[in-house]
Amino acid sequence: MAGIRVENIEKSFGKFKALSGVSLEVRDQEFVVLLGPSGCGKTTLLRIIAGLEQADRGRVWIGEREVSGLPPRSRRVAMVFQNYAVFPHLTVFENIAFGLRMQKAPAEKIKAKVEQAATLMHIENLLGRYPAQLSGGQRQRVAVARALAVEPEVLLMDEPLSNLDALLRLEMRAELKRLLAESRTTTLYVTHDQVEAMSLADRIAVMNAGQIVQYDQPMKVYQEPANTFVGGFIGSPPMNFLRLPVEGQQARLASLVLALPSEVSGAEVLLGVRPEDFEVYTDQRPQSFPAEVLVVEPLGPHLLLTLRFGEQLLKATVPPDFAVRPGQTIWLKPQPGRLRWLEPTSGQALTAR
Amino acid sequence: MRSERYIPYVLVLPSVVFLLFLFAWPLLEALLLSVRNSSGWTLEHFQRMAADLYFKDALKYTLLLTLTIVPLQVGLALGMALLLGSIAKGRDLFLYVWTIPLGISDLAAGIVWLAIFTERGYLNSFLQAVGVIQQPQLWLSYETPWMIFLAVVAAEVWRATAIVFVILVAGLQLIPKEYGEAAEVFGATPWQRFWKVTLPLLRPSLQVALILRTILALEVFAVVVALGGRNLPVLAGEAYYWYNAYQNPGVAAAYAVLILGISVAATLLYLRLMRTKQEAVG
Ligand SMILES: Nc1ncnc2c1ncn2[C@@H]1O[C@H](COP(=O)(O)OP(=O)(O)OP(=O)(O)O)[C@@H](O)[C@H]1O
Ligand SMILES: [Mg+2]
Repeated sequence: MAGIRVENIEKSFGKFKALSGVSLEVRDQEFVVLLGPSGCGKTTLLRIIAGLEQADRGRVWIGEREVSGLPPRSRRVAMVFQNYAVFPHLTVFENIAFGLRMQKAPAEKIKAKVEQAATLMHIENLLGRYPAQLSGGQRQRVAVARALAVEPEVLLMDEPLSNLDALLRLEMRAELKRLLAESRTTTLYVTHDQVEAMSLADRIAVMNAGQIVQYDQPMKVYQEPANTFVGGFIGSPPMNFLRLPVEGQQARLASLVLALPSEVSGAEVLLGVRPEDFEVYTDQRPQSFPAEVLVVEPLGPHLLLTLRFGEQLLKATVPPDFAVRPGQTIWLKPQPGRLRWLEPTSGQALTAR
Repeated sequence: MRSERYIPYVLVLPSVVFLLFLFAWPLLEALLLSVRNSSGWTLEHFQRMAADLYFKDALKYTLLLTLTIVPLQVGLALGMALLLGSIAKGRDLFLYVWTIPLGISDLAAGIVWLAIFTERGYLNSFLQAVGVIQQPQLWLSYETPWMIFLAVVAAEVWRATAIVFVILVAGLQLIPKEYGEAAEVFGATPWQRFWKVTLPLLRPSLQVALILRTILALEVFAVVVALGGRNLPVLAGEAYYWYNAYQNPGVAAAYAVLILGISVAATLLYLRLMRTKQEAVG
């Protein structure tokens, strides 16, 4: 039984505030992904949980224990470092065995666990080499294997697959997910690859500028972003945000009238729609609005259209056989259940959640 | 493109010439001096050296001094360098204070310590003042070579630990802190971290420091002369007396060659014992 709980963590480096009041709970056996842009404080949060960095304020629990004052070795976590930190003076075997050696595990157990972890990461034929004789991606897999070999209750991983080629990454991702679910390891996993986050996570914590802006299941985060940042950061291409005039309890989109979920104080409101959440027609249909096609990009599984609606640009995806060319006017019907309303100045979602 | 291949050789040429003139040539001269006399090749100088009354003591004390001083210095310097690593504020101040002895010549250092241990020196004044002794004691006499030995060790440790310290501080700074952090996360105690991570990664610096200090310790001379004269004979001192007092360059050269031989042997031993494996830089 070991969840992770952090409460109101604040951390400054000199004048720069890296974390401003982060609270997060990872349940026992849960797989949580920390997702956010470069420099938002993901590594800093992980290092504070591991005990490598001291928070200015706030507390950390692992399992039932408060660990805020404990040194890293007493926190009983394993970690994959963003910069690997694979020991240059030890062979791959000894690197992976390091944690077990510190626990004074018997030799047969060490050998078995090391080989198991190495096989999982496809580095079983490199066990005798030194890190200087490995490629970056191989070194990264040694770092992952070293963390897996100790079979921790709590595993912290800082972009563990960032240096692998796309194919290998896909494969490792699936294997990690299977293994960690099987071993019921509580995992906090950092990435700025949103596809990786969506595919792995039980829950995603989206971070921005030292804060967690949304913490929810992947599909919730995707479909119901808490603000414009989340909608724009997750999804490729990002969510469209259309600025629409407000009339009482309704917003007007060309001839369309859309009901708002709550009262709006300002004269305008933002409508968030994902590019795939439009039904697109070449002729006028009820409940649709016109837009001019500017660019057509064939992406394989679908076409990506860049469109102009009044002064605003938006993106929509259509099936690859959809006949369309630049300059043409098409009609878009937003799917009613997939609309997200946001406040234009703060960027926060309107819907009472 | 082809001509660029010669540029490195042209650039090292001045230093090679310099080394040839100032090191290789005198070295060769000394070697020749030790194995030749007016009538040709001979081992006479080495035989005279070995038969000399002072030879055995000189060899014994030189080796003993080296075996005492070098481990002491490396141990102390390592401790100091590690302590410095955990000091955040005033780090530079400690570094400067600890390296002050580096600026003092060995003869001056010997004289400083002579001022402490001599008959009317600071040590005796102090001991008399606190009432431990009634009369000034004669510490550094030919009857007590072990006292001279200890005084030399003290002076050498005081004078030359700093160079080891500087080398090790630089070496420690080269080790990225992430390795220590990884070790910590995976359960290493501070002690294990030192043995399993810090020390192996420090090996190249330790090797340099050991070789440098061992060679210099084998040549110890000025401090010994200041504190004990010939009451504590050492190899470099004997070379000096044979050259100056006995006017016999041949035997002096034989001593020099002996020191050289021991130095080379020690260096090879270090290189072999502390061989870095294939790791290079990670
Ligand atoms: N030791 C430090 N001293 C000063 N500033 C730091 C230090 N460590 C991190 N920072 C700053 O804190 C912020 C957060 O850093 P952090 O490493 O946590 O980012 P990150 O989210 O992991 O980014 P990335 O995805 O690029 O790894 C950054 O702006 C960084 O410049
Ligand atoms: Mg990071």
